[in-house]
Amino acid sequence: MSNEGRMRATVNQKLTEMGERERLKELLRAKLTECGWKDQMKAHCKEVIKDKGLEHVTVEDLVAEITPIGRALVPDSVKKELFHRIKAFLAQHA
Amino acid sequence: MKSDETIQETFSLSPKKKKYPKLNVLSVMSPAGCSHVNGYKVDNWKQNLRVIYQCFVWSGTAETRRRKAKSCICHMCGAHLNRLHSCLYCVFFGCFTKKHIHEHAKNKRHNLAIDLLYGGIYCFVCQDYVYDKDMEQIAKEEQRKAWKLQAFETRPSRLYSLESTGIGEKYTTWEPTKRELELLRHNPKRRKITTNCTIGLRGLINLGNTCFMNCIVQALTHTPLLRDFFLSDRHKCEMQSNSCLVCEMSQLFQEFYSGHRSPHIPFRLLHLVWTHARHLAGYEQQDAHEFLIAALDVLHRHCKGDTIHDNGKKANNPNHCNCIIDQIFTGGLQSDVTCQVCHGVSTTIDPFWDISLDLPGSSTPFWPLSPGGDGSTVNGESHLSGSTTLTDCLRRFTRPEHLGSSAKIKCGGCHSYQESTKQLTMKKLPIVACFHLKRFEHSAKLRRKITTYVSFPLELDMTPFMASSKESRMNGQYQQTVDVLNNDNKYSLFAVVNHQGTLESGHYTSFIRQHKDQWFKCDDAIITKASIKDVLDSEGYLLFYHKQFLEYE
Repeated sequence: MSNEGRMRATVNQKLTEMGERERLKELLRAKLTECGWKDQMKAHCKEVIKDKGLEHVTVEDLVAEITPIGRALVPDSVKKELFHRIKAFLAQHA
Repeated sequence: MKSDETIQETFSLSPKKKKYPKLNVLSVMSPAGCSHVNGYKVDNWKQNLRVIYQCFVWSGTAETRRRKAKSCICHMCGAHLNRLHSCLYCVFFGCFTKKHIHEHAKNKRHNLAIDLLYGGIYCFVCQDYVYDKDMEQIAKEEQRKAWKLQAFETRPSRLYSLESTGIGEKYTTWEPTKRELELLRHNPKRRKITTNCTIGLRGLINLGNTCFMNCIVQALTHTPLLRDFFLSDRHKCEMQSNSCLVCEMSQLFQEFYSGHRSPHIPFRLLHLVWTHARHLAGYEQQDAHEFLIAALDVLHRHCKGDTIHDNGKKANNPNHCNCIIDQIFTGGLQSDVTCQVCHGVSTTIDPFWDISLDLPGSSTPFWPLSPGGDGSTVNGESHLSGSTTLTDCLRRFTRPEHLGSSAKIKCGGCHSYQESTKQLTMKKLPIVACFHLKRFEHSAKLRRKITTYVSFPLELDMTPFMASSKESRMNGQYQQTVDVLNNDNKYSLFAVVNHQGTLESGHYTSFIRQHKDQWFKCDDAIITKASIKDVLDSEGYLLFYHKQFLEYE
């Protein structure tokens, strides 16, 4: 594992141990719902399902189709806020 | 925010126009999962599964979290991301994205794995996630358990009410109950709401000079937040008798949104109003504004069952109520009395449901208005025609007023009676602001109606009349730059109640807004389409404005 990979793993460990990971997830969930991202994704999923057909579509199809779009549509403000939260947490606990 | 159209453009997706037959989803996804899952359900499987959820998916305690942090990495590459899955048959963690878990499944013939992020069960034979009712049940329970543990841990000294928007009850999607499914099956008819549909519009029969009541009912049934409250059945009645006005209101909303086009006969409502507001009883023409205040008051009193505060205690304190009426209609009016000698300010804040505005032409002088706080440029009204605007009235309402030598106030600073000035400003704006133009003069000498035309805007910015704006003005910031990004004080007109005729014999009608830009005139039982010009040219007696932007608390 690269240095970056190791650092990531350490950060993740700390976040998980202190329960901060869960809290951040909930914060992110709330923010993405508030700004309408969740509804956009839902609408998009429906399109994919229509496209592939209800009987044939798999979770993998959905993941493959909407992951890049989802990533691109996260508002900068949300990214910034999460980033600052993580930074603050690490400053406090590392 | 990209619209659906631009998403498709950006990612070059073309939705197929093919129509798929309606499938009964319940038959496609069997609640018994796939047959491979049944192979797992032997011996002590439930307990084993619970342990997996508790330790590796939703860790509620510090100990399980530590264990999860340490051990939840891919056994093949050490990564903790990449959609880590755990084998259900043995202790093996593998990435999904890099197919490490797939390899394990193939080699060991262990068909099932669980997604450590979301708790979904994957079947390698079916090559998709499967939804087994029993397993889902366990997953839900474990998630709830972990959630509660975590919420309690972070702030163990505070009890969380279910209503708090902090870490409280975990958000779960709505699952219909058996009863609800039954109801849906027995009532297969669905109503499609298009941009042109007239749902919610219904005439009201005049039961004998009851147009004053009909107008207010039209305004209330078209108040979006109030409509949402009642249509989602949020009222839980605590009254024993059949005389709850809130229940009747609820019924009224059901009638209005039923799709029936024949006019409704509000005899029950009228009876309840007579019962609870005696001063409005009788077949004489009453004042629509008085009716509005009386109705809000009775609704507020009858809403006791719906207000829940911390610790589950019901709020009986009229000053601290959180009922739907207060949430929507109650604002705070700040009154500052300034002593002319020591310049000490005594401030009080009183709740209000409406703002009553004096008009030019009444016995109290209207002009001149004091300088500063030029609201009319903010609200884009013009004085070209020489007519008075709503903003003029608001400026007059919020002007500093010398109380005169005959009305000295006891000053706490000077410890004596001194002359003072009084000024009203808005401390807290309600979600729905109702402006009452005082057209009916009932002074000792004369009783008359003031028909002065007052122009009012479609969009109103209340910023110049706020207590905070006044403070900035006093600190020397005279020319206030309009903060385009601050949307807190922006309002949109959605209902207008008008009075035609004289004090002795008159008739009330109302204009209400449907969807974004469609207006309708409600004249008792007759509903007709109206133009925005019709609305803005009307005389205006009661003006209802709704906040444009709502915020979470």
